[in-house]
Amino acid sequence: MQRTDMKRRFIYTLLLAVSSVCLFGSCEKTPVDADGLLITQRSQCFMTFFDALGSDHRTVLVSGSTQIDTTALTVKAVARFGTNLKRIKPYSSVVTDAIVEPNMGIWTDFSTPQQYTVVSGNRKVRKTYTITITLQQ
Amino acid sequence: MTMKANRSYLLLLAIVAVGLASCEPKEVENEGPLRNDLLKKTTSPAVIGDRIEFVYALGTLEGTLKTARAEASIPGAVGTGFSRYSWFTNRSNGQDVPVLTASDTITNGAVSTASILDGDNNKALSLRYYYAVPEEARGKTVSFRFSGTSSTGQEVTINSPAYTVSRMDMKRQITLKDAEKCYVSLADMTAYTKEEVEQKGLSGKIDFVYVYRATLGANKYAFGHAMVSLANGTYLSDLNLPASWTKTPTLLDKRVDVKDAQLRGGGFDVYIDDTDLERTTFTNSADFAYNLAADQGAFVRSGDGTYVAYVFVNSVNNTAKTMTVSIKRLQVK
Repeated sequence: MQRTDMKRRFIYTLLLAVSSVCLFGSCEKTPVDADGLLITQRSQCFMTFFDALGSDHRTVLVSGSTQIDTTALTVKAVARFGTNLKRIKPYSSVVTDAIVEPNMGIWTDFSTPQQYTVVSGNRKVRKTYTITITLQQ
Repeated sequence: MTMKANRSYLLLLAIVAVGLASCEPKEVENEGPLRNDLLKKTTSPAVIGDRIEFVYALGTLEGTLKTARAEASIPGAVGTGFSRYSWFTNRSNGQDVPVLTASDTITNGAVSTASILDGDNNKALSLRYYYAVPEEARGKTVSFRFSGTSSTGQEVTINSPAYTVSRMDMKRQITLKDAEKCYVSLADMTAYTKEEVEQKGLSGKIDFVYVYRATLGANKYAFGHAMVSLANGTYLSDLNLPASWTKTPTLLDKRVDVKDAQLRGGGFDVYIDDTDLERTTFTNSADFAYNLAADQGAFVRSGDGTYVAYVFVNSVNNTAKTMTVSIKRLQVK
């Protein structure tokens, strides 16, 4: 009788230990960066799309004029005649999980070329693009 | 022991009863046969020269309604008072139908009154009360006390919350015409001709010039209707402005999605208030706004920084080379 109790107690303890491992093991922290964005295994690092908005939050770029060179790391775009290049809000798309530094989406002076760095999903590859917007003359 | 416990329960019950009784509302004015209610219909900011519209509802179960009264904490401007009409909605077509309800409406200082027409049917009504925002109320709060009486001698009252009156000014429907009335002063909220600016020495007060150029540049790019600061030499080069003129750089920030309902005349429940003009920033803004179309506009800061305004485009006409604008303007320093 005493032996059976001992055996039962052992099984309960074992089950408790296994379930604890399963429970706490599943709560392992996924790595995130300072902005809370997921750090993944992806090492791809390139820009896929670029747009620039004027003060009216409409694009200022001439349709079809934007050229992204992922080898030379340049973006060349043409803004419509009359655009105020000193007050531009840039936006871009990048490969999955990558981020851009510094943040886009803020008013920026594009009267001179600006540099933005694309950082891969695993945060190990960094590529700095030079973005040049010229005015339609 | 049992008796003692019973007494304790009775005492507790008595305390609860007293507590509940004390929670009853003390305002019993609206519980009688004569009742009233108030609705503020106007949702826009209270701007000097504009009106705030209220609906004052009265109803009685005994006798008929006799008078309605409104008292403003600051006397209203001309146009303040009750309308003589009450309204109901025709259920077959959804239209609001007016019914002559008041025989007499009088406004004397801060007090407006309406004498309800005699009639057995006058047991419930909703009168419109308009408050024309006066200059004295600028930047202050204004509140209202409404009351009504019935033929049985009863009276009910209701107080409105306090409403803040805007500090800004508003002027609607200013028509600008290329090469004519096209020199606009935010200080005066008026458009002048070149001759008027020259004769009256107004160049220092001119914040922008309206021009219409279908295309500009060597490759004839679209330019359209534009507001351009006197300081911009590129787009005003063909105006041959006198060298003696003061040409202070005004800053303009074009918008296409700010359709202020007061400037537009309805359509959208979007309003620019004092705070919008106070907080708008003009870092690296241009000294012009171009390709303007109806329902678009621009935030404008005068060259000396005294005024910030929103200039809304009501309409444009390419053939007549005109643009009609409405302006909300705030003195910021």
